[in-house]
Amino acid sequence: MPRLKFFCLAAMLAPLLLHAETSPDSSIRESIARAVTSSAADQDSILDQIVVSSGISKTEHDLLTSWSNGEIYLYTDAGGQVIPIILEQSDTTDKTRAFRVDTGQLLKDSNGAAIMIDPTDATSSDVNAILRKKIQRTLDLLSLSDSNPEVRRGMAFKLGSSQKAENLPLLETRLKLETDPGVKKTLYEAEALIQLADTAHPERQVAAADSLAKLNCIGALDALRSLSESKSASAETKLAATKATQAIQSYLAVVNFFGTIFHGVSLGSILLVSALGLAITFGLMGVINMAHGEMIAVGAYTTYVVENVFRDGLPLSPLGIRIVLPGMHLTGWPFQTYFLFAIPLSFLVAALAGLALERLVIRFLYRRVLESLLATWGVSLIMQQLFRLVFGANNVQVNSPSWLLGNFTISDVVLGYNRIFVIVFAVLIVVGTWLLLTKTPLGLFIRAVIQDRDMAACMGVPTQRVNMLTFAFGSGLAGLAGAFLSQIGNVGPSLGQSYIIDSFMTVVVGGVGSIAGTVVSALGIGCSDQVLQQVLGSPVLGKIMVLTAIILFLQWKPGGFFPTRSRTLDS
Amino acid sequence: MQNSFRKAELWGIGIGAILILGILPALNAFVPETSVFHLSDFTINLYGKYLSYAVLAMSVDLLWGYTGLLSLGQCLFFALGGYAFGMHLMLLIGKLGQYHSDLPDFMVFLGYPALPLHWVPFRSFWFSVAAVVLVPGLVALVFGFLAFRSRIRGVYFSILTQALTYGACLMFFRNDFTFGGNNGLTDFKFILGYDIRSAATQRCLFIATGILLILTYVFCRWLTMTKFGKIQRAVRDSENRVLFSGYAAANFKLFVFVVSAIIASLAGALYVPQVGIINPSEMAPDKSLEAVVWVAVGGRGTLIGPIVGAIVVNALKSWATRAFPDLWLIILGAMFAIVVLFMPKGLVGLPKQLYSLFQRSSTFLKGISAQRGNEAQLPVKETSTSPGDVIRTGRAD
Repeated sequence: MPRLKFFCLAAMLAPLLLHAETSPDSSIRESIARAVTSSAADQDSILDQIVVSSGISKTEHDLLTSWSNGEIYLYTDAGGQVIPIILEQSDTTDKTRAFRVDTGQLLKDSNGAAIMIDPTDATSSDVNAILRKKIQRTLDLLSLSDSNPEVRRGMAFKLGSSQKAENLPLLETRLKLETDPGVKKTLYEAEALIQLADTAHPERQVAAADSLAKLNCIGALDALRSLSESKSASAETKLAATKATQAIQSYLAVVNFFGTIFHGVSLGSILLVSALGLAITFGLMGVINMAHGEMIAVGAYTTYVVENVFRDGLPLSPLGIRIVLPGMHLTGWPFQTYFLFAIPLSFLVAALAGLALERLVIRFLYRRVLESLLATWGVSLIMQQLFRLVFGANNVQVNSPSWLLGNFTISDVVLGYNRIFVIVFAVLIVVGTWLLLTKTPLGLFIRAVIQDRDMAACMGVPTQRVNMLTFAFGSGLAGLAGAFLSQIGNVGPSLGQSYIIDSFMTVVVGGVGSIAGTVVSALGIGCSDQVLQQVLGSPVLGKIMVLTAIILFLQWKPGGFFPTRSRTLDS
Repeated sequence: MQNSFRKAELWGIGIGAILILGILPALNAFVPETSVFHLSDFTINLYGKYLSYAVLAMSVDLLWGYTGLLSLGQCLFFALGGYAFGMHLMLLIGKLGQYHSDLPDFMVFLGYPALPLHWVPFRSFWFSVAAVVLVPGLVALVFGFLAFRSRIRGVYFSILTQALTYGACLMFFRNDFTFGGNNGLTDFKFILGYDIRSAATQRCLFIATGILLILTYVFCRWLTMTKFGKIQRAVRDSENRVLFSGYAAANFKLFVFVVSAIIASLAGALYVPQVGIINPSEMAPDKSLEAVVWVAVGGRGTLIGPIVGAIVVNALKSWATRAFPDLWLIILGAMFAIVVLFMPKGLVGLPKQLYSLFQRSSTFLKGISAQRGNEAQLPVKETSTSPGDVIRTGRAD
C-alpha cells in the first residue's frame, strides 16, 4: 500500500515539477532544498521563513509533504555536491529518472543526459519524528492561509479541536487577516476551544464556554461535556460548561428538527408524485392498481438503463437469452445530462406499461374495485419476477449525476441538492397535473367522468379513451417517482412493494380523487414519518406509529382530509 | 341456500373424514415403505401443511365470500396463533437448546437476563391454547370495532387490514420485541411430552389438523345456514338495505371478523409444530394476499372452494417451485389474474360456468338458425345473474 501511495504521489508530482521550471517562486523550492541538507536549527529557521513568505504553490506544498514522508532522496554528484532529488517513479525496482528539488528540472549528468537512479539503493534524506512534526506544523500553518476557504475552515477547526495553547497565536494572527465570515466564525470557535482547555485560568474558561454557546459551536459539544463532568475544574467553570452544553444542545435540536423536516418534505414529495397517480386512477376509474408500485420500479429501472446506455452499455440475460444494450461511452458533462433524458423516458415507459395494463386487465374490471385489487396484484407479482429475471435479484446501483451530489448548509442544516431537486420537481408535477385537470379539454373530460360516468358518456365523452389516457398518465407519474427514488435510495425488484402501502395510505388519508388532499397527506405522512423516526430513534417504530395514527385518523375523518361530497350511500 | 345439511354433503364430509383421519395416516403408518401406497413422512407433513392452509382459506372465505369483507390481513391472525403456540413450544425445549440455558436460544443470544414477564405463563399448555384463541380475537375485536364503527368498508377496509399486518410484520421483525425478531421461533423439540419430530407425532398433528378442518367446515356450514348467515350474506349483497331494515350491520361484521380471526389463529397454531418454525414473514402482506388467491381459485362463497383452492394452489406451488423456480411467481400471478378476470366462481364454479357458456352458445346458435328462418326475429342474449351472485355485475363500458 505505501508503495502505491508513493507512486501516485510521484506521478502526480512529475508534471507539476516539469511545469515549475519557469515558475517565479523558485526561491521556496531552493529553501526546501537547502533545508533538506541543513542542520536541525537551520531547518527550523528555513521552515519559519517558508511560513512567512506569501503565496506558496501547490507544488511546493506537495514537496513538503514528500519530505515529511521521506520521499526526498539525496544524490551525490561527481563533484561531491549533495543534491536533493525526487524520483519520477518510485514503485518500481527499475531505474528511474529523477527531478532536482531546488530547480524542478531533470537530474542530468554533465553530458546533458538524464541520470537513472535505482530506487532500491538511493539514499533517503534523514527525517526524524521531530522534523516530521515540524514539517507537519508548517503544512498546517500554510493551509490556514490557503486560498480555499473550506481548507482554511477545516484547518482552523483541526487546530481548535487539538486544544493546544501553542496554536493560539497562529489563530489570532490569521483572524486579523481573515475576511471570509464563515472562516472567521470557525477561527473564533477554535480560539474559544483552546481557551476552554486553559485550566490555569478558570475565568478564561468561563468566557470561552460563554462565547462557544453564543457561537452555537456544535463541534465543541464533546469538549464542553467532558469539562462539565471533569473533577479538576472549578465549580464556576463547570457551571458555565453545563450552561453552554445545554444551549448548544437546544440549538442542535433545532438544527436536527429542520433537517428532519427537510428530509420529510423530500420523502413526502416522492410519496406525493407516486400517490398522485394512484389518486387519479382510483378516483377516476374506481380501480385499485396494486401494480402501481411496480410502475415506480419501472421508472427507476428506466433511469438505471439510461444511465448505463450513456456509459458503457448494459448486458442483460433474461431467461438465459443474452442481450447487450450498446453504450454511448460518454464521460464528463455529456454523461451528467443522462438524468435529464431519464426523467421523460421513465415517464413514457411507465405510461406505456400502464396503457398495456389498462387494455389487458383493468378495462374488464371497472367499478369492481376488489377484483381489480386482486387481479393487479397478480400483475404486480409477474412484473416483480420479470424485474428479477431481467435485472437480477439484487439491488442495482444508480449513480447520481454530479450536479445532484453536492449540498449546501444554512446554519448547520445540510440541504442535499438531490432532495431539493425532488421537492422542486414535485411542485412542478403537482402544478402540471392541476393545470391538466382544470385547463385542458382532457381534464374536463376526466372530471366529467369522475363526477358521473354514465352522464358523461351520454354527453359524448369518449370514456374508454379517457380511461386509457388517465391510467397511462397515472402510471407515468409513478414512473417519475421511480426516477427520483433512484437518486435517493436503492433500486431493486421489490422497490415498489415498499412504497405501495405508503402510497395507498396517502390516498386514503387525503381523500380519494382530491389533489389538495393528496398533497396535504403526502407531506403530512412524509414529515411525521421522519419526525417520529427521529424522536423514537428507530425507523420501524416510526412507521408503525404512522400506521396506527392513520387508522385512528380515519375514525375521525373516514373520508380523508378532503372527501368527495356526494349524496350516494355507496361512494 | 338450503337450511339443513344435504345428504350428499353429509356423505362428502363422511368420506373426507375417513380419508383424512383414517386412510392417509394408515397409509403412512402401516403400509410398508416399499409399497406404492406408502405415504412418506415428508408427504404426510406436507399434506398437514395444506390442511392448515385450507382452514386459513376457509376463514378468508367466511369473511370475503360470505360477508363481502376482503381482509388482506388474515395471515396476521394465522401468525399470531402460530406465535402464541410457538412460544409454548419454545419454552418446552428447556435446557436442550444450543446454549443449554433455561431461556430460549435467541434470548441468550440477544442477552436477556431473564424470561420476559409475558412469556412466563406460556409454560402452561392450556394458557397457550387460550392465548391462541384470545389474542387474535382481541386484536380483531379492537381493530374491527374501530374500522366498522367509522364505516370503513370495501376497498378501504382491505387497505387498512393490509396496513395492519404490515405494521405488525415490521414490529415482529424487531429484535427487541421479544419474539425472536428476524429468525422467529424455531428448533422446537417437544410437544405435550412427545418428540415433535417423530413420525408418530407428526401423524397425530396431521389428524388434529384434519379434525380442525372438518369442525371448521361444519361450524361454517352451520353458521351460514342460520338466520345469522342470511344477514351475513345480506350485508355482502347490500349493506345499506340491511342498515335500513334496522340491523346493526357493524356488529354482524365485527362478529364474523373476530370468528374468522380465531379460526385463522387455530390453523396457525397447528401449522407451526408441523413446519417447525414461525417467523415474521408469515404475516407479510404478500402471504395474506396469497391466501385470498387460494379462495379465489377454489371459488368463494362456497365452503368447499377454499379447501380445494388451498390444496390445489399449494400442491401446484410445491411442484412449480421445484420444476420452474424462476417462473413460479409469474405462474401464480397469471393464474390469479386469469381467475379473477374469467372465472369469478373459481374451480368449483367452473362446471356450471362451462355449462352456462355451452347453453348460451347453443341458444345463440338457435337464434341464428331462427334468424335465418325469420329475418325479423333477433337472437335473445341471456345474461346469467342470480341474486346470490358474489360479484356485483359491473358495468363494463
